Amino acid sequence: MAREKSSKDNAQALFNSLRSAYAVTPVNLKIIDLYVGFAVFTALIQVVYMATVGSFPFNSFLSGVLSCVGTAVLAVCLRIQVNKENKEFKDLPPERAFADFVLCNLVLHLVIMNFLG
Amino acid sequence: MKSLSFFFFFIFIISVFPFLCFSFNPESPTDRRVLVLLDDFSLKYSHSIFFNSLKSRCLNLEFKLSDDPSLSLQRYGQYLYDALILFCPSTKKFGGSLDLTAVIDFVDSGHDLILAADSTASDLIKNIATECGVDFDEDSSAMVIDHKSYAISGTEGDHSLIVSDDFIQSGAILGKTKIEAPVLFKGIAHSVNSANSLVLKVLSASPSAYSANPESKLLNPPLLTGSAISLVSVVQARNNARIMIAGSLDLFSNRLLRTAVQKAGSQDKYHKSGNEQFVTEISKWVFHERGHLKAVNLRHLRVGETDEPAMYRIKDDLKFSVEIHEWSGKNWEPYVADDVQVQFYMMSSYVLKTLSTNGKGLYLASFKVPDVYGVFQFKVDYHRLGYTSLSLSKQIPVRPFRHNEYERFITTAFPYYGASFTMMAGFFIFSILFLYNK
Repeated sequence: MAREKSSKDNAQALFNSLRSAYAVTPVNLKIIDLYVGFAVFTALIQVVYMATVGSFPFNSFLSGVLSCVGTAVLAVCLRIQVNKENKEFKDLPPERAFADFVLCNLVLHLVIMNFLG
Repeated sequence: MKSLSFFFFFIFIISVFPFLCFSFNPESPTDRRVLVLLDDFSLKYSHSIFFNSLKSRCLNLEFKLSDDPSLSLQRYGQYLYDALILFCPSTKKFGGSLDLTAVIDFVDSGHDLILAADSTASDLIKNIATECGVDFDEDSSAMVIDHKSYAISGTEGDHSLIVSDDFIQSGAILGKTKIEAPVLFKGIAHSVNSANSLVLKVLSASPSAYSANPESKLLNPPLLTGSAISLVSVVQARNNARIMIAGSLDLFSNRLLRTAVQKAGSQDKYHKSGNEQFVTEISKWVFHERGHLKAVNLRHLRVGETDEPAMYRIKDDLKFSVEIHEWSGKNWEPYVADDVQVQFYMMSSYVLKTLSTNGKGLYLASFKVPDVYGVFQFKVDYHRLGYTSLSLSKQIPVRPFRHNEYERFITTAFPYYGASFTMMAGFFIFSILFLYNK
């Protein structure tokens, strides 16, 4: 009983510490996190749809999932480069990171439009 | 003057008419030249009614003895006759260049045969029958005896002159008119393998018949009994050659053709036996005057076009048509039936449709090409009792959709379209928010 109580307590304590740590992050990083969450959620919806209906226009499915996953990956890269606590990208101006992000997204969406059929 | 010219014209027509009869036209499938082999020429007179009925139908009969040394069926690779009648049951060896192999080759090349045996049948005749699918009784002294269904004649005999009315039900083989009087038969029995689908029993014996020697006492139960005994059988080969095998030569004789019939135990007395109608109708069938079909003009086209395409696409609408004619003895008549079917076949039948007819021999069907691509065949297989078998097929490839023949926007892919566009919109909104938040 003591062990159960302690594991529940541990989970609670972990969750609370995560929440308090997260609350400190800057707003723009939280926006990026929200965007990543939205992209992954859209990808999941598409996978569930394919599992029910079947993969008939498989190229369209791949294109849709790739657009979601691709933007998620690019947004994560942007977050890494913009985050001030990251020592590796200390000298990279955030504008440069954002410009890279926009360019890559353009290319990604061009490919998506082509492959969508 | 006018009457004189008319008279000359009349004489001309009379003299030319027999030659018009004798001309052989490949478009008309009725046999013309028939070789009749006899044991002795007295058969020409004892069976004259049958032979005259053949001659009156424009058949050119040539009578020869079976051991004539000048016998030959072909010369320089061409057959001299269209059909063969073997009324020579006791012949052990044919004369000239004729033998068992020559007769079988004659039939294999599509020509017709009438074979009659009787109690004096030799092994040669029985072997010819075995090659055609019919097995005569091995006991050479056996005859068909029926103590219940025999013909009552002036003398009380050994019940080997039997009466039978167990005919096959086929309008093609026996004609449309029902044979009222039963048929008289005196001869040997044969049996037909029921697994063989090409041989048909036209006249079977009654269930009380058996095959045994009428003169000696019966020691063992007879092997052939009842309705398994076939008295007259026909074979329609796959190349449409027609063979008739009868166990009695007397079946065709004038004596039995003219006799009155009364079956033992029944009160019905027929003043003429059914033999004449029976042999006449069967000979019409054997010599291709009835039941001979031909199919022409197998056509298929896409709905809305007039030419046959070289290839179909899946889910096309197409129309199929074929013309079937039946030979009436003199000209081709349209064949009318409601059970002709066409298959669209590749390894197995994907579409099976019954063709509808317009009454003039044209059969039509329209259907949609199935959603499978490959090389298909249009197949028409028509096998009916007494009619020539039709097996037609035409190959046609079927291709899948071309890249630009799909629908432009596929309905099932709308969620994916929606997802990619929302991702683009999301990216746009995110970049605004990211740049302009304070």
